[in-house]
Order: sequence, then structure tokens, then C-alpha cells
Amino acid sequence: MDSLHAIGFYVSAALAGAGGLFLAFTDSRQRRAVALGLVGLGVAGIDLALSAGFTALVVLICYAGCALLAMRPDHRFLEQAASGPWRQAGAVGAALLLAVLAYAAFRGNFAHATFNGGPFGSVAVGRLLFAHDALATEAVGGLVLASLVGAAGAWRRERPRDERGEGRR
Amino acid sequence: MSVTLVAVLFVAAGLTALGAFIAAWKRDLTGALTGIPVMFAGAGVAFVGVARFGASSGAPLLGQEMAVLLAIAALSAVGLGIGLAGREGSR
Repeated sequence: MDSLHAIGFYVSAALAGAGGLFLAFTDSRQRRAVALGLVGLGVAGIDLALSAGFTALVVLICYAGCALLAMRPDHRFLEQAASGPWRQAGAVGAALLLAVLAYAAFRGNFAHATFNGGPFGSVAVGRLLFAHDALATEAVGGLVLASLVGAAGAWRRERPRDERGEGRR
Repeated sequence: MSVTLVAVLFVAAGLTALGAFIAAWKRDLTGALTGIPVMFAGAGVAFVGVARFGASSGAPLLGQEMAVLLAIAALSAVGLGIGLAGREGSR
């Protein structure tokens, strides 16, 4: 991997991390969408630097869709049932998860192989998706269909405005 | 300056933990839902990194395929969650 790709990788990783941190500490829907877009852009850059151009394109489209969904002004504000101590315990659990995963990455003895694929790889990934692992692709297609039907069915019913969410929009 | 599998896995660990933190920390449920794509992004980066640096036998681009499927699953999870949260009335 040359220096240009390495710089692209680290810049994209910083962009994704900054977007994730911004997403964690912002409450506005527009800013949340921008942060999710930054995460998508960063992850697509990482994929591109790792010679996965087709994956980068799909990630960019999917995360742009996530950002547009998160930006919608008319979805309801629903407060979590978990109280402060439980949320703090969840945050500590996330920190522990980071420690465990970072330790596993640092101490792991990984095999190193030469990469023979191209920079984009759409043909090879397409063959995998539609020939080698067609069942997995169909399962994800079924999941997307079920979630879209469920979301559309739930979205049709208008619910009363939640007073607690008034100040957040 | 070079990129190794360990560096990729560090980034993936950071994104996964950040997604878990967002899901746990956000008071708004639809806000907490945005932690799912970040977690899936971490998993996808790890898969792509293994496909780039460590896949020596079998289908070498299997990790890229998994990352594609994870991105699509993240989009459908956010869509379903926001749909289930429901639409606010106009009054």
C-alpha cells in the first residue's frame, strides 16, 4: 500500500471518528444527519483506501439514506425507558468493549496475505453476491422488504405529538 | 507511513464501541437508533480489512461482500426503527 492510500485511510478514519463523536453529542436532527453523513463519507474513504471501491459506493448510498431518514422533521421523539444510571452503565460497557476489541487487535497474531483483487472489484463481489452466496443476498433482500413494509405500515398512522420532544426540534 | 491489519482493526474497534456508546447514551430512541449504522460500519471496516490483508484462501472478497450486506442491513434497520417510532400529528 503506497503513502497516498495510507494518508487517505487515516484521514478517512479521522473523519469517521469525528462524525461519530459529533453524532453522539448532538441533539438536533439536521446536525445528526450531517454527522451520519460524515461517518458514511469516512467509512467509504476507508473502504476506497482498502481497494474496496464497490463497497465504498454502496456504503455511501446507504449512509446517505440513513442520514436522510434521520433528518426527517416529523418522526416522534420517544424517550428511552432506561434511567441515568443504566445509560451510564451502557457507556461504561461501550468503553469496556473498546478496550477488549483494541486488546484483541493489538495482541492478535494475524496471517498476512497478498491482495490480488482490483481497486473496485464490482465483478468479483457481484459474483459472490449473486452466485456464491445467493441465499445470503436473498435473506438480506427479504429483510429489507420486510422492514420497508413494516416501516411504511407503521408510518401511515399519525400519532399525537409528544410534549417532551417539543423543545428538541 | 503504512496501513496494517492491526490499524484497520483499531479503527473498526473504535467505530463499534462508538456506535454502542451512541445507542446507550442517547435519550431519544430515534437518536439511539443512529448508533446501529456506526456499529455496523465498524464491523464492515473489519471485514474489508481482513479481505484486504488477511484472506489467503477461499473467496478473497468475502469480507467486501459482508460489508455491502451490513450497509444495506443498517439502512433497513434505521428505516424500520424510524417507521416504528411513528409520525407526529400536525397539532
